[in-house]
Amino acid sequence: MTPPVSKLQEALHSGRFVVTGEIGPPKGTNVGPVLHEAEQYLKGRVAAVNVTDIQTAVMRTGSLALSKLLLERGIEPVYQMVTRDRNRLALQSDLLSAYVFGIRNVLALTGDHVAMGDHPESKPVYDLDSVGLLQAMTTLESGADLGRDPKGNPNKLDGVPQFFKGCCVTPCTEEVEPQIIKLEKKAAAGAQFVQTQAVYDPPVFEKFMRMIEHIKIPVLVGIVVLKSAGMAKYMNKNVPGVQVPEAIIKELSAAPKENLKKVSAEIAGRLVRQMRPMCQGAHLMTLGWDDLVPEIIREAGLAP
Amino acid sequence: MIVAERKPMDEIRRMLAPYKRVLVLGCGSCVTVCLTGGEKQADELAAQLRLAARQEGRDLVADADCITRQCDREFVANLKAPLASYDAVLSIACGVGVGFMSEQFPAVPVLPGLNTTFYGAGTVPGTWAEYCHGCGDCVLEWTGGICPIARCSKSLINGTCGGTNKGKCEVKQEMDCGWLLIYKRLKELGRLDELRTLRSPRDYRKDRGAGVRRLTHPEMAVLEEEPKA
Amino acid sequence: MNDGDLTSKDAAKLAATTDLMDRLWAPCRDACPVHADVRAYLEAAAQGRWRDAIDIIRERLPLASVCGRICHHPCEANCRRRDVDDPVAIREVKRFVAELEGAAGATVHKAPVQNKARVAIVGGGPAGLSAALDLAMAGYRPTIFEKFSRAGGIPATAVPAYRLPREVIQIDVDWIVAHGVRIVTGLEIGKDKTLDDLHREGFEAVLVAAGLARSRPLPIPGVDHPRVYPALEFLTQAAFGKPPELGRQVLVIGGGNVAVDAARTALRLGAERVSLMCLESEEEMPAFAWEQREAREEGIDILHRRGPTEVVVRDGRIVGVRTRVVTRVFDENRRFDPRYDDAATGEVPCDTVIIAIGQAPDIGFLGGSSLKADERGRLPCDPATLQTPVPWVFACGEIVTPPGSVVEACASGHRAACAIGLYLSGKTIKLDDSVPPKISTIAAETAKKVTKVSREPVEALPPEARKRNFAEVDKNYVQESALRESRRCMSCGAGAEVLVDKCSACLTCLRVCPFDIPKITDVARIESALCQACGICIAECPANAIIARGWDARGLPSRAREAIDSTPGDGPKFVAYVCGHRASAAQWRGEAKRPPGLAVVYLPSLARLSTRDLLCTLEEGAAAVVVAAVKEEAERYPQAARRARRRFDQARQLLAEIGIPADRLRWVELADAGDEAVYEALAGAAAAS
Repeated sequence: MTPPVSKLQEALHSGRFVVTGEIGPPKGTNVGPVLHEAEQYLKGRVAAVNVTDIQTAVMRTGSLALSKLLLERGIEPVYQMVTRDRNRLALQSDLLSAYVFGIRNVLALTGDHVAMGDHPESKPVYDLDSVGLLQAMTTLESGADLGRDPKGNPNKLDGVPQFFKGCCVTPCTEEVEPQIIKLEKKAAAGAQFVQTQAVYDPPVFEKFMRMIEHIKIPVLVGIVVLKSAGMAKYMNKNVPGVQVPEAIIKELSAAPKENLKKVSAEIAGRLVRQMRPMCQGAHLMTLGWDDLVPEIIREAGLAP
Repeated sequence: MIVAERKPMDEIRRMLAPYKRVLVLGCGSCVTVCLTGGEKQADELAAQLRLAARQEGRDLVADADCITRQCDREFVANLKAPLASYDAVLSIACGVGVGFMSEQFPAVPVLPGLNTTFYGAGTVPGTWAEYCHGCGDCVLEWTGGICPIARCSKSLINGTCGGTNKGKCEVKQEMDCGWLLIYKRLKELGRLDELRTLRSPRDYRKDRGAGVRRLTHPEMAVLEEEPKA
Repeated sequence: MNDGDLTSKDAAKLAATTDLMDRLWAPCRDACPVHADVRAYLEAAAQGRWRDAIDIIRERLPLASVCGRICHHPCEANCRRRDVDDPVAIREVKRFVAELEGAAGATVHKAPVQNKARVAIVGGGPAGLSAALDLAMAGYRPTIFEKFSRAGGIPATAVPAYRLPREVIQIDVDWIVAHGVRIVTGLEIGKDKTLDDLHREGFEAVLVAAGLARSRPLPIPGVDHPRVYPALEFLTQAAFGKPPELGRQVLVIGGGNVAVDAARTALRLGAERVSLMCLESEEEMPAFAWEQREAREEGIDILHRRGPTEVVVRDGRIVGVRTRVVTRVFDENRRFDPRYDDAATGEVPCDTVIIAIGQAPDIGFLGGSSLKADERGRLPCDPATLQTPVPWVFACGEIVTPPGSVVEACASGHRAACAIGLYLSGKTIKLDDSVPPKISTIAAETAKKVTKVSREPVEALPPEARKRNFAEVDKNYVQESALRESRRCMSCGAGAEVLVDKCSACLTCLRVCPFDIPKITDVARIESALCQACGICIAECPANAIIARGWDARGLPSRAREAIDSTPGDGPKFVAYVCGHRASAAQWRGEAKRPPGLAVVYLPSLARLSTRDLLCTLEEGAAAVVVAAVKEEAERYPQAARRARRRFDQARQLLAEIGIPADRLRWVELADAGDEAVYEALAGAAAAS
């Protein structure tokens, strides 16, 4: 077995329960605040920090730049790449750029459609899908790229990258079989770890984990911090594959306003604790409430 | 067949503002079937233009006519009056008709009355939905006959993304998730192995990636001159 | 199915002619001996266009008023409505329309000049009158010589007044005379003048239309008694107010209409008991079923299967008629060949006998002429040309055709006029009797979908009130009944036809037809035998590829224009499209109540009103268009009201796109309304602006 190419990979291989966090770049050049948050609350507490790539099709500073800036501050980035905005040339180029910058962890995603974001009139690309992006990464790692030379032979790279390749899955979707089949394909295409969409229902997650037993790559369960009962209800109605149980909604509604953040952290931490035995890690999506991360880790029983 | 929609009326009126003698020209093919550009629609549109002009106290001659198709030159022979007798033609054929007629009759501006939208079929009376994208590389063989390019908002080829909401595409709630339809159909057919197969990135050369497309049947080309004995 | 596919070029050639409708005839028109355009006049009547209706009738039927009373209506017997509920009461509608304004109510098409040859016509009955009319309209100068003191023929002399009042006959005669037909009464050809005299006097052709004016004699003992009357003569005398003496018990011998007429007339003239005796059984009896029924209601005994053998006279008075039983009337080939059982005899007591066993020609008109009867005593005549051996003498009507009805006589008269016209122009006499194909029967599944409407009853005088006087037995329809009844017409053959070169097979007609009639093969095919002529598909077809055989599907805006132009006033004009199915019409009754500036166009159904029609009506100058609908349940065609509403909304949407306010189009719902309610509603809608 080849040695781990990144600290994240190493952590997952060690068998420890791994926690990852996430930051979203700003809409603009003022990267100070988000970097500060990462340093303050995430550094040293989580194994790696995902950087979202033009999340929900809302234009922001690039995940490549922010991943590099995290790296400069001693924080392990997971460079998220969506296939919505760039064709295979640009994606392969950015992968090589990422490697050159020292970035190793890459999360390959399809990406929300432009219709969901703030530039609905732009042209969606999707030259590759997430499977294709994983294939591209695997191909680059083999010393070639997806193209051909004028004679029709595979190209040869001058300097070959190595990545720790990740993908995502939605465990709580209504029709789960297609998700599983796609996950199998992602693994076959080279995926080495999985970060899931938000899960709030441990029994459902347990069932899902049993169904993908045969896919032998580490899974980090995703938890989106619920900031309010309203947010939970909204997610139930509008976000596909996310189901917040009634009990949790009640818990949030019952919480007095000044206590809300604490209750949120409690809920997140409790969920991590409940699902810990089922998977290899947890991916915390705090939506800006990074200050809760220490609390959540404590609640989860993961504090050192 | 090609489905198109009428352009907004103010856009049409703005386009026609410089002209005094306009022919609204319908097409007897696809746009008649989807009730957008047939002779009846040409009549109605011409009547609207005349009423609008009269309201503004403007002079406007707006005639309506319709030919079998606007994508073959020969049908123009059936026009009630020659094109040259108008200063502009508002074609309510699909974009093909507009472009083709412009090319064939450069002396008179041919303006588009419709926005051509998709290749579709009639699902229930009065509704047409997109079925095909014209990608040039049909994969319906391994998707149970359901087109992932046209019916998946992202034109994915390896299965659903995470955006299926109660069986519908999160981009457009009336739209079924194309890949979910494909999954169900392949399951019905006992062909889920097709879904399990890893599909490599597509060759976009066939989908305009190599430029403007063309079809030629050489056996139908005009016969060459007989060689002199 | 139709005769061959129709293309738009064909249709353009046929437009504004009757030829489109002539691709396929409705069965009523086909069965009518004069081929009157029944469908067209019922449609006119259905919209209250009474004058148009009577004009259409009179195009083919000069004796419209007479036939409105006594026609045997083969049209009704063939009316396809009978496969839905009951046949349309065509004769009753005709009666209403014909008698509404009398002779003055129909257009007279007098020839601009009448200077062609003079033609003499012997006999002023239906055949002679019809021929005379045609000749006058063609510019000839016809003169009718009628031996009685008034014209009309059998209708005037032998049909009783309770069935056909004198004034009614006069309507037809007056209208015919108005075309330049001269009638000389009280002059008998063969007695006062000969045929040759006429020719010498300058009549270049003579038409014998003398009919069957004599009763057939019954050669049995006792028949020469003075109280034995031949039926025609008896009826004629009664018609002229000089009936012969009747006893208390009258026996009429015979089974036809004349026999029943004689019996019912005798009753009204005071006979205590009237019986009728005929060879035929009840089913075989040739008299009209309704005549038999009314006679029985009036207390007349009908004795079937009896043949007379002797009029028994005792002491100079008739006491009865001896009879024998009839074993059969017709042989295997349906020929008249009665057989009797002479052993089964009887006697019917009576003191007066009327013989009504058939009519015979009276060839007295041949008296003193060069034309001779044939060896059977009949007038020789070539049925193909209607010419006799004397080239300038023609014959028509029952004198040469088999015995028939008034309308059949009119048909014969038309042919004769044609033949004479050809003869006088020096052309070969070739008469074209060909007719277009007839529509086939309606399929049961389609018949089931047609909205049922029961036939308007005819009010009749009760037997007790009518049997002692000559008041008319059947009352006329009132206007509402005439409207309702004519709206039952299914417009057979007038419906949709596809222009095969324009059809894109888009399936719209198939989707909108409430009767599921269109089938799509290469193009849409609409079976004319099933099409109910609602017009829905015609207004929805995106390719304008469907036309109507019976109306101009794109003609509504011009009709609106005409209506606008003929509406008095200088102010804004409003056009109302009114669903004529329920709304009452009073166009002929005067414009007094109509609100100012309101032009009304009646449609058999709003199904015919298209989106384009609404826009173009505004283009034609209407300040606003009012659509007056009836409730869905009251609509003649299923779904028509909803379709019309959708088109209305679509038109409003199209107007909104160009900044024209929604109130330029107004929707008004009329309940089953009379004139006043209609005008009130329309006035309200038109005024609100």
